[in-house]
Amino acid sequence: MKFWVTLEDREAEVEFRTEGEKLLLEVDGRRLEADFHRLPDGEVYSLLVNGKSHEVRVSPGANALEVTVRGVRVPVEVRHPLERMLGATLRKSGAAGGETIAAPMPGLVVALRVKAGDAVAAGQAVVVVEAMKMQNELTATHGGVVSEVLVSERQSVAAGQALMRIRAS
Amino acid sequence: MSARKPAPKPKPAPRGKLAPKRAPRAAARHSSPPRRAIRRVLIANRGEIAVRVIRTLRELGITSVAVFSEADRAALHVLMADEAYPIGAGPSRESYLNLERVIETARRVKADAIHPGYGFFAESAAFGSACERAGIAFIGPASETIAALGDKLAARAAAKAAGVPLIPGSDGPVATLAEARAAAKKIGWPVMMKAAAGGGGKGMRLIRGESELESAWQTTRGEAGAAFGDDRVYLERAIERPRHVEAQILADGRGNVVFLGERECSVQRRHQKLLEETPSPAFSAKLRREFGAAACAIARSVGYRSAGTVEFILDERGRFYFLEVNTRLQVEHPVTEMVTGLDLVAEQIRIASGDGISFGRTPPEPRGWSMEARVIAEDPAANFMPSIGRIERLRAPQGPGVRNDSGVYRGYEVPVFYDSLLAKLIVWGESRDHARRRMLRALDEYVLDGPRQNLAFHRWLCAHREFAAGNLSTRFIEEHFRPGVLAASPSANEVAVLAAALHAREERLRVALPDDSRVNGGSSWRWAERRRPAGARR
Repeated sequence: MKFWVTLEDREAEVEFRTEGEKLLLEVDGRRLEADFHRLPDGEVYSLLVNGKSHEVRVSPGANALEVTVRGVRVPVEVRHPLERMLGATLRKSGAAGGETIAAPMPGLVVALRVKAGDAVAAGQAVVVVEAMKMQNELTATHGGVVSEVLVSERQSVAAGQALMRIRAS
Repeated sequence: MSARKPAPKPKPAPRGKLAPKRAPRAAARHSSPPRRAIRRVLIANRGEIAVRVIRTLRELGITSVAVFSEADRAALHVLMADEAYPIGAGPSRESYLNLERVIETARRVKADAIHPGYGFFAESAAFGSACERAGIAFIGPASETIAALGDKLAARAAAKAAGVPLIPGSDGPVATLAEARAAAKKIGWPVMMKAAAGGGGKGMRLIRGESELESAWQTTRGEAGAAFGDDRVYLERAIERPRHVEAQILADGRGNVVFLGERECSVQRRHQKLLEETPSPAFSAKLRREFGAAACAIARSVGYRSAGTVEFILDERGRFYFLEVNTRLQVEHPVTEMVTGLDLVAEQIRIASGDGISFGRTPPEPRGWSMEARVIAEDPAANFMPSIGRIERLRAPQGPGVRNDSGVYRGYEVPVFYDSLLAKLIVWGESRDHARRRMLRALDEYVLDGPRQNLAFHRWLCAHREFAAGNLSTRFIEEHFRPGVLAASPSANEVAVLAAALHAREERLRVALPDDSRVNGGSSWRWAERRRPAGARR
């Protein structure tokens, strides 16, 4: 079995082979012996790679998977050969879709920094949400033109609620 | 409400008057305050500090009474207390900051005393005096002391009278912009503008030059008026690369004031402390003596009672200047407990009951070094943005020299209404480096999944060369931290790649296997669900 794993624009090919009880991996030409053991604690595994012990958590992330290694979250995308072919086409069509600014947690909208029709740059603060006694500026990732503002100031919002949409310019 | 039924207990002390139940030596030796029995203590707080107070109460055989908001029905302090009573809705103002409700509950359940923890009512003179009127002991200083020291200008005056060095500044509030300008010129740029009613890092602003003065004048006064109902501001010279150091004191309210060593709390972001330690790597024995004497002089001059902290700024030449007095137990008090072996909450209770300080005038000789890392639900890589959510997985560090003061458990949902402090990881070591290495070890052991948290930040901090060398200042994060430093190492990335592929393989195999092999609910629809983004879950 073979998978492609994408991590920060780099792609690794991981191929599996079993030899009796042994699970062998080939990653970018290197051969490794691995033991992958699911712990009773959610999607957490003990991973032994050539005897080295790691504890990892694999959870669904914003795009595909998120692997937690020693407390650091690493977003990864895993694709099967077939998905890989499909993905290449899908991504091309989805790239120009713009973005939706959503509340990262329940809170109160304290300020809207932009209005519909405004052009925003990547990284520009567009809305301020107060939660846990802190004011948090939410920024546009890619930038574009604000197509829709879905909330008003002093409005309470739920986690994940869409606050505004920005279309790619 | 499913509060446990109160155990049969002795008749509480008569209300309104202090009741010398026993007539011990202490009462004979001193005139005031008379001894009062403390058998039931209401904790007017939540989170890790409520849990910490409950632990001491349990050890002392005192009944612990928790209060909780609707959002905290399943909070750890409710589970751990002997009794628990609801006090209102989730937002603090409707529960933990509802003075009448808290006092009324304390009266109704016949609490002898209230421990305020830190935050909420801990430094509220109005709350202290409401306790006094209700005949309930407030475990802290007298309300007049809180009022006097809560006003920064009054506190400065007290420090000055006690002969303690102050940062050169305007002697008193500046009434007009012109007055502020004149004062700033006399002090010399840069200056700090501070709200008289401020504290804990709120209501202060750095002004680098005259061009920034007017806008700072407007905003600081505006903020102070809105936040504290008091828009008086004053100016102080800004100290470059200052260290934040503070003195832990205990006072019995009858003239006995003792110094329990300093704490260094220089590692801060937005004026909020992140890691504290004792002793301070910047202190010599001579500096410590002078520092302790200054802190005690201020406490003595106001007739202080209970545990308290006198905060100072230490400049690069090793001179200290008075900042403010915190009339409460500090978040970081455990580091002092680790090196002294004392229980500061137990001391507070002894003092409130009139029994005085357990060791009299000579505190135990501190031993070794202690550090505390605040484990906060926030994302250091995203400008320390707070985070909430369910604690999906939790395995706290254990082993030699490790203490974990936590307010959460696995499956617990971190509410949005309160402080984002989840736990405090405290370690003890023979030396600073031993404590630092032990902290790194404990941080490595700590597993806390669910909300974002700052364990990786602390790992970075404790491994940093300048931190290891003890070169600290309140600008440490500004000078050394970049969000990128928390990115996964190449080896961690490799592990992630392997884990992701192995996980995908498991899921594939599981789907492909016949029905009787699908253990643990691994069916094909679940596989599909797992691939959905996190936001679409639940």
